[in-house]
Order: sequence, then C-alpha cells, then structure tokens
Amino acid sequence: MSERVSARPPVDRPRAGPAPVASSGRTRTPLGWWRNPWRRPYVLGTVTWMYLAWSLLPVLIAIGISFSAGRSNAVWQGFSTQWWWGHPKSDPTGALFVSPELHAALIQSLRLSFLTMFIAVPIGVAFAIGISRWRGPAPAGANFLMLFSFVIPEIIIGISMFLFFTYLLKFVHLGTGAQLLSLVTYQVSYPVIIVRARMLSIGKEYEEAATDLGASPTQAVRRVLLPLLYPAILVSFVLVFADTIDDFITVRYLSGGASTEPLSVKIYNFSRGTLTPAVNAAATFLLISTLVIALLGVFLYRRITRGQRGQTKEMTGYLS
Amino acid sequence: MRVLPRKRPREEATGGWYPRWYWPGFALPGSLWILLLFVLPFYVVVSIAFGTVDPVFQSPLPVYEPWWWTSRYLLEEWHFVTGEFRAVELRTLAYVVLATAICLVIAYAVAYYVARFGGKRKGLFLVLLIAPFFISYLMRMLSWVELLQPNGYVNSVLTFLHITPHPINWLAGVPFTVVLGLVYGYVPYMILPLYGFLDRIDQSHLEAGRDLGANPFWTFVRVTLPLSKPAILASLVIVTLPMFGDYYTNNLLSGSPKTTMFGNLLDNAMEATGQGPEAAVLVLFLVVFLMIPMLYYMRETAKAQRNQ
Amino acid sequence: MTRRELLKRSAAASLALPGAAAFLDACAKPGTASSSAHANGPGMGSYWPAGSPYPLARQDSPVTWKLWRDPIKPGLAPEKGATLQIYNWADYIWLKVVRQFCKAYNCKYQITTFNNMDEGLAKMRTGQLQFDAFMGVTPDILGKLITGKLLQPLNHSYIPHLASDVWETYQNPFYDQRWHYTVPYTTYTTGIGYRRDLIPDAQIRGMSNPYEIFWDTKFNGKIGIYDDYREAISMALLKNGITDLNTGNQKYINQAQKTLISLINAVNVRASINGVYIGIPKGTFDIHQSWSGDIVAAWQYTPVQNMKTWQTLGYWFPANRKGAVFNDTVTIPANAQNPVLAHHFLDWMMTYQNAMLNFTWNGYQPPQRQADPATLTTTKSYYGEPYVFPWLSDAVVHESDFHTGHFQEELTPQVDQLWHNAWQAFNSA
Repeated sequence: MSERVSARPPVDRPRAGPAPVASSGRTRTPLGWWRNPWRRPYVLGTVTWMYLAWSLLPVLIAIGISFSAGRSNAVWQGFSTQWWWGHPKSDPTGALFVSPELHAALIQSLRLSFLTMFIAVPIGVAFAIGISRWRGPAPAGANFLMLFSFVIPEIIIGISMFLFFTYLLKFVHLGTGAQLLSLVTYQVSYPVIIVRARMLSIGKEYEEAATDLGASPTQAVRRVLLPLLYPAILVSFVLVFADTIDDFITVRYLSGGASTEPLSVKIYNFSRGTLTPAVNAAATFLLISTLVIALLGVFLYRRITRGQRGQTKEMTGYLS
Repeated sequence: MRVLPRKRPREEATGGWYPRWYWPGFALPGSLWILLLFVLPFYVVVSIAFGTVDPVFQSPLPVYEPWWWTSRYLLEEWHFVTGEFRAVELRTLAYVVLATAICLVIAYAVAYYVARFGGKRKGLFLVLLIAPFFISYLMRMLSWVELLQPNGYVNSVLTFLHITPHPINWLAGVPFTVVLGLVYGYVPYMILPLYGFLDRIDQSHLEAGRDLGANPFWTFVRVTLPLSKPAILASLVIVTLPMFGDYYTNNLLSGSPKTTMFGNLLDNAMEATGQGPEAAVLVLFLVVFLMIPMLYYMRETAKAQRNQ
Repeated sequence: MTRRELLKRSAAASLALPGAAAFLDACAKPGTASSSAHANGPGMGSYWPAGSPYPLARQDSPVTWKLWRDPIKPGLAPEKGATLQIYNWADYIWLKVVRQFCKAYNCKYQITTFNNMDEGLAKMRTGQLQFDAFMGVTPDILGKLITGKLLQPLNHSYIPHLASDVWETYQNPFYDQRWHYTVPYTTYTTGIGYRRDLIPDAQIRGMSNPYEIFWDTKFNGKIGIYDDYREAISMALLKNGITDLNTGNQKYINQAQKTLISLINAVNVRASINGVYIGIPKGTFDIHQSWSGDIVAAWQYTPVQNMKTWQTLGYWFPANRKGAVFNDTVTIPANAQNPVLAHHFLDWMMTYQNAMLNFTWNGYQPPQRQADPATLTTTKSYYGEPYVFPWLSDAVVHESDFHTGHFQEELTPQVDQLWHNAWQAFNSA
C-alpha cells in the first residue's frame, strides 16, 4: 500500500490479512472484508506478480540453457560455455563467438541497429517538432501516415518494400541498403510519437518567451526547445535500437546474402532448421546489447534531466 | 508509445517572426521519407495487384499506368477471400479478438495495480514491465516453444503434479497455445500506455469516491474506466492491428493448418512461385481492412481533443 | 491494344527479366507458328505442351538446353582471395567439406540458406543476388532458371570428376542432356520416417498401403508431412494410387487435395521442413514424410547419443522401389562473381572422397560409382559409424531406382498453379 494512502487520517481498515481487527462491523464477515474499500488489493497484486513471473521466467530459463552442456534446447544438461566460446571437442561452427557465420550476423545486427537509430531519430524528432507547430491539413495527413506506419503489421511493410526494391528502386539492391531504408521507415514513427507527446505537454510558452527576449527562431529551437526534448529523444534512441535489433520480419525479406542476415534472422532460420543452445546464446547476446544501450540511456537521462531542471528553474526564475 | 490525446494550450497568435517555411521545413525530411518509402511502395503493391505476370517465372510484372490496370487478380482473390479463405479470416478474427481481450484484462489489472498501489516498489515494477521490450520477441517465443516440448519443463511439472497422466502435445496445432502465444507476445505493448495514463489520473477523484463509501468495484466502473477510455483505445490500436499480420507466432508455436492465420496466407503467397499478384492483393485487402479501425481511432481522438 | 501487347509494354517498362522479355519478343511476332517459337526457345525436347515457355523434361522425352551464352574459357586460374558464395538449403552441406575446399583454393566462403525451393527461387529471380554456386536445385525448376537466363553453361574441362566418379545415369541426364548447366549433387527417395520403437518394421511393411499409416489416429498430433507443395501432394497422389507425380489432371489434384485435408481432421497433421532430422529424434513427431537423406542423418540429432536411441529411427520405401525418387543438382548462377572457382568447387563435390565426406554429415547419398549400395550399411564413415545404419537400408539409393521410381519433374505454369492452389487450400483449410 502506498505511503500516501497510509499517511491519511486513520480510517477503519485492516493493516494486514483478512483478520477482522478493525472495529467496524463491515470487516467481520468475508463479504464485509471484500466490500471494504480500503482493503489491500490482493487479487490485483497476485495477478501482477503472476504476470511478471509468466513473462520473465521463460526468458530466464532460456538464458540458462545457453550455458547448457547438451544439444537440447528443452532441458538443462550440465554447465558449459561451449555454445558461447566453443569447445575443443565440439564443432566450432556451433558457438556464437567462434562461428564466422554467427559472428558476421552479430556485426550486421549492430550495424543495422546503430545506423537505423542515427537516421530515424533525427528525422523523427525534426518531423515531430515541425508537425506540432505547423497548422493545416498537410501536417495532419503526414501525421496520419506516420501513425499508420506505426501500427500497420510489419509483414505489410516487408512485402511492399521487397516488391519496391525488386521492381522499382532496383539500384538499391537487396541487402544492407534496402534493409536500412525499410527499418528507418518502420522506426521513424517511434521518435515522432514520443517527442510529439512531449511537445504537447511542454507547450510553446518557453520558445515564445525566448523569442520575445530576442532569440532568433534557430536559437529558440536549439537553446530552448531541444534541451527540453532531450529526455524524449533519449528514450527514442533506446526504443528504436531495441526494436531494430530484434527485427526479423522486414529484414528477412530484404536480406541479400548470408552476410546481410542479422542475428535475429539467423535465429528465425535456425528455429526452422537446427536449434541448438547457440541460438539461446545469440538471443542472450541481443538482450545484453540492448540492456547496455538502455543503461547508457538511463545514465544520460539522469545527467540531462538534472541539468535541465536547473536550466528550467534558472529560466523561469529569470522570466519572473 | 503514448498516443494519448493531450489538451493543447489555447492558440495564441503564433509570433509573426517565424518565416512561413520554418516549421514545415522541420517536417519536410520526414514527410518526404514517408512519401517516398511508405506511400510509393504501396503504389508498387497496387501496380502489381492490378498488373500481370511474366510467363516464365509467373512472377509479377507491375503495371504503373492506371489506364492499363486489369482487375483479374483482384477478382480472383476476391473469390478466395469470400470463399476458401473465409475460415482463415474468421479464425484470425477470433484469435485476435480473444487475444486482445485477454491482453486488455491482464494489462489493465497490472497497469492499474502498479500505478495505484506500486508504492515504493514502483521503480522495480516499471523495470520489470519494460524488460520484455528489450528481449527479442523471437527469444520470448522460442523459450516457450522449448518449455512446451513433449519432454519440456511444462509437461514435466504437469505430470509430476499428476495433473495430466501423459505429456500434452502443446505444439501440435492447439488454438489455446497460439492465442496464449499472441497474448504473451503483445501484452507488454498494452501495459505501458495504460500505465502511463493511469499513473496520471488524479487520485483524489477516486479517493473521494471511496471516502463516500463507494465500493471499489463501482468506483472503478464509474470513474476510472470512463476516464481511461482514450488510453484503452490507443493501446487497442497498438496491439490489435499488428496482430492481424502476425504469422511467426503461429509458425513457431503450431505449424498446423488448423491454426493458419491471415498473416500465414500472406507469408506463403509471398514466397510461393507465381503468387506475387495474389500476395499484393492480399496486402491491399488487409490495409483497407485495417484502415477502418485506424480512421475510427483518429476520429475519436480528434473528437476528444475538440471537446476538451 | 491486345493483352499480349500490354504484357510486352509492361515487361519493357519495368525492365523485366531478360529472359521474359526475350520470350515475349519471340512470341509477339504476328503469325508466328508455335513450331518456330520452339526453334527460338531455350531448349529442345519432344514434350512441349501448349502454354509452356520451355520444353518439359521427362524420362521418355529428354531435353537439351541451348547454350544462351558461351561457358567460361578453359584453363583459367581460379580467382584469388575470393569469397565463394554458396546458396543452399539449410543444413545441406557439411562445412568441413567447404572449409577443406577453401583451404585448397585459398578462398573464403559464405553460405546463404533457404528453407524450400520456392523461397530459394523467390530471391534468385530478382537477379540481385550474386552467388557462385546454387546448390540443391531440384530439376523441376531448371526450365525456369535457364529460360530466365539465371544460370550459366558449364565448361566440362574444369569438372573431370563427373565423368570419372559419378553414375552412368548422370553422364547424360534426361533433364539436362550433356549436362550443359548442372551437375548432380545428391540422390534421394521420399518415403516415410517413423519411430521403430512405436511402430515395428513388420507392421508398416505388412500394410497393403503403407501411406495409410499417416492416418493412424494413435499418433494424433505427432504426424508430419513436408512443407513443400510438390512432396506433400505427391504423397497424397501415391496414396491414391496415382503414380504420375507431374499430373495436370484436375480430378487427381482435387482428390489429392481432399486426401491431404482429411489428414488435418484425422490426425492433426503438421507441415515442417525439419520434422525428420530434428523432430523425430526430439519426439515432436512419431511419423513424418521423409527424404531418405534426412532419416540417414537424423542419428546425429538424438538428444542421447547411443546405439539404442539410434535404433528407434526407421524408414520405409516401397520394396519394389516404385516410389518418389530423384536427385538435386548444383548449378552456377549467370552473375557469379567467381565462376572459375565455382567450377572447381563443382568438381570438388563430384570427387569420391569429398562427396562421401559430405555424405557422412549430410545423410544425402551422392551418386558415386565407388559407393557400392550393398556395402554402405557396413562401411564406416568419418564418424566411425556406418554411412547408413543397417536398419535403414531402405534409405540407400540404387542407380536402378532411377528406372523404377517416379519423378517430380517440371510442370507447365498452368499446372504449377493448380498444384500451388491445392497446397494453399490445404494450408488454409
């Protein structure tokens, strides 16, 4: 129970368990207990914890199995790191960091994710800024398309991009180029939605104040608006990275040779061929790399919001 | 993530010191990108749907001039869509509706609990709720595939507890497994927008209700639920629309024709030789179908914004 | 404007495949008799049904494909420091063999995989991918590939081991007379893989129609067929007593479609591509339609590695050898970047030691003269086990099977559509 609620003036409610300790007659019977508006939300709490276990336990087990000594993905067969770093006795093609195929896929995963992140986020942020301040039917249409590209099933993007690059834009060959263009198209709506929400909540008072005080439009955006948007931009970076590194639908249709298949696509292919714990190791690696990016994001976020709070205070103080 | 409608501050006269092209200039790269790489590819899809095929590979030959379009494949597929595929469409609809409903119940309960009663643990809860975003969808699905194997841990536990005498073959085209897989895959995308909204509801409304002795259930039904309608709508759009094109969940967890979904038809047509135009037509059908809820959603949010 | 002109326009406008455009030019001439179109066609054969852009190869009407361009010159040195780009089915070549080749020729390699022929063809036909060797090409798509000018003719002088090491049948195969474009890769039969501990050998062999075992409700949910429209429908045809696995007869195809769909309700059948070598050892499947090579290799995938578990793997193929049988080929794409190296690679795979080393892991039998079918079940492979376990002797392919077996050969585009539609109907049932 939240501190805020318990800090309220005492009301008749049991502190713990169904024991009817309170004086009110309403809590003496089970029905009364059920009806008490201030009882702890046991049902909801149970649901939440069960949901968390359901959602995360399988993944923990899968991570564990990447350290299994056997070939099976289903059962643990003793500890070993052979699926990560290989084993002198086993075929070296099976391990994540040893197999040249998996190694190349790992590089391709990181390459696509970083490039997508650094292209999609700036375009998306600029678009969100423009669209929030620009009035008229044209931006509404563009915004609709953005939102639609966000919720449309990814297979549609994959198929239309495959047809696009094999029939019309043929000079963009299947491979990294086509994958990158499609990923950016699919991901650009993330920063748009996040930054736009932030733009709506901060309003335009700050820029107006800045321009009233003589800042040029460029200065108003660069010195006032952008710093206010940093948290939203950071979140966009992290989410775009996390979503791109897992993407296998668009990327699979558009991959050229094996060198352009990232780990996610390899995992999907393995799932239809030979599954070994090396696949678990690959997936665990993806998880670790997104976690690193997320932690980096959190770290930067802390630093920026600390600075920003100061700046904001400074600015509001100056204005008043 | 949060497509929540927010109240806009009342328009003041925008300062005349911004050049006319200034704000549109920001939106230009994004708009061009979307036009060139989202809208134009659709035109190719349309050109293929109304085009023809080459005689050797039976692969599509797009026809870009609308005056040369033929509706042959459209009619052919329409025949399938209203006939042979009906079972798949109804099944997809049933799975999606069911999965969405379960998602909504779980997501709302969890988001509500964390937002209202998270207390000191709120940070921890949030981290745990966000975690699935950072775990690849494939990994989450594959870990279930392995757990549900005939000799996997789920069956070991069930037989150990004598709940079933024999291991259950969960992966042999069981609709229950597929629906649960869909729920598992998509529910995190619903929890976060709902949480974001519920966290901002002013708790004094609810506490007022309770102080007046209202049953928590009725407080919830009469106050919280109507308040969160926009968030529910947004999270439904985020989860339901992509589900209609899902083929991989079913591929990984079943692989049986008994659980074929519309996305599988798309994926099969995409890969089969000579089915290019069919794939394009199916894509068009799906896009048109999804436009309906999308436009409804846009209208609702616009209405909500006007009312505020 | 006629439909044909429209087709031509759009083909030209979209810079369609060179083969398609050439074909359209050839047949758009007014008053062109079909025979002269044939003279300009991609190859010569006696079976050329109406509506087909190429002659169809059948055992009794072989096809000679024309050389649409000259093969590479003889005596060229292999490309230096090259990366050999291989396009192949998943799990269909032992990396050890490729590594040995690359060590000998000082090259690197990269293998891109596909999961069924359609998927492989879908990317190939875009013409954007540059592979040096396209492996596991089933002969039933050769006409498409050659008419579309996606393959290059081979220069025999680089591939001496085909003549010296490979079966007589492949010195002049009916699907590619004088092997202008292909070398044979592996041979296989399509039968039934099963768990011998659950179904005794005698039981399945004693059945009047062993294909009916797929309908055995005792194995509900543990029965699989290949996720491959030709193989799946062929099984249904054979079960119905139809031995023409290239039939264009609508009645037979509809019947086969019904037969397949009845499997869904009877035993909850699933379609997979790794069901034999992964699924049966893992316990996901008890019975699965099986290529002989998949069941031969399956022992390497059992969770517990001992003779007892290996003995649970069984394979049935008609004792009179009248079942589905065929071979895959290796080809060199027209846009290969390292064609000389690729020729050497083809020769490498035709050589006895290398072919057998690949067989060890792959399970698919190469058509090698020195590999006596009678001793394959006793000869030890690189792994120290027999190439084929004795209880899987039905999975050994004999050269004589190519006289008794039924082949899946190229279909006309129209018939191919019928087959695809039947498969789609099964998948959406």
